[in-house]
Amino acid sequence: MLSSFKTHEIMKNTIKVERAILSLTQDDLAKKIGVSRQTINSIEANRYVPSTVLALKLSEVFGKPVNDFFKLLDDD
Amino acid sequence: MGKQNYIECERKGLEKLINFRLPHYFYTIGMLIAGMAIVMMFVRAFALEGDQEVLKEVFKKVLLIGMLLMSVARDKVEDEMVVKLRMQSYTYAFVAGVIYALVMPFVEFGVSNAVHSGGESFKDLGDFQVLLFMLMVQLLCYQALKRMR
Repeated sequence: MLSSFKTHEIMKNTIKVERAILSLTQDDLAKKIGVSRQTINSIEANRYVPSTVLALKLSEVFGKPVNDFFKLLDDD
Repeated sequence: MGKQNYIECERKGLEKLINFRLPHYFYTIGMLIAGMAIVMMFVRAFALEGDQEVLKEVFKKVLLIGMLLMSVARDKVEDEMVVKLRMQSYTYAFVAGVIYALVMPFVEFGVSNAVHSGGESFKDLGDFQVLLFMLMVQLLCYQALKRMR
């Protein structure tokens, strides 16, 4: 069960890696999915968990299922 | 209209109301209005003579309107995180406003009586004071949360 609200304790993501594979900057990715660069930065740093819509947009950009770059930590 | 349709219609209306935001340029307009109201308050207090109570009340309302415009104006890039931060700032402002309204009259009463014996009698805060405080907290928290994201 998700007992903590601290996002860095419940999940991790590899968006930075996926972005690097596609040679995209935070700004490029932000423009592609229609958010601000700071939002991408917060998601990468696990300070913010995006909505399903945003996660699916990211999945579309990376060409991978959401589960590939968002993962729950083992404890949860 | 069926019950289900009625509920759906009500939900859509409520969603529209919740998501209502003014265009971004209203932030600048609000800032100008609030700035002008503050300047005019000083002008009224120090430069104008005579009984200007009506003018004082008008400037107070104008200041609140300016700050409200700033508060409900859209951000340049209004994404879901900004919406979340804005909601968070409204929560902080609401809680802070209630605490302020509860505590401040006692502080004012205490300070007034401590500074000069037999000072002011106990009185509640006015609506302007509470609303100004809440709007100030909301705007400051929102900017702070945006900077920290």
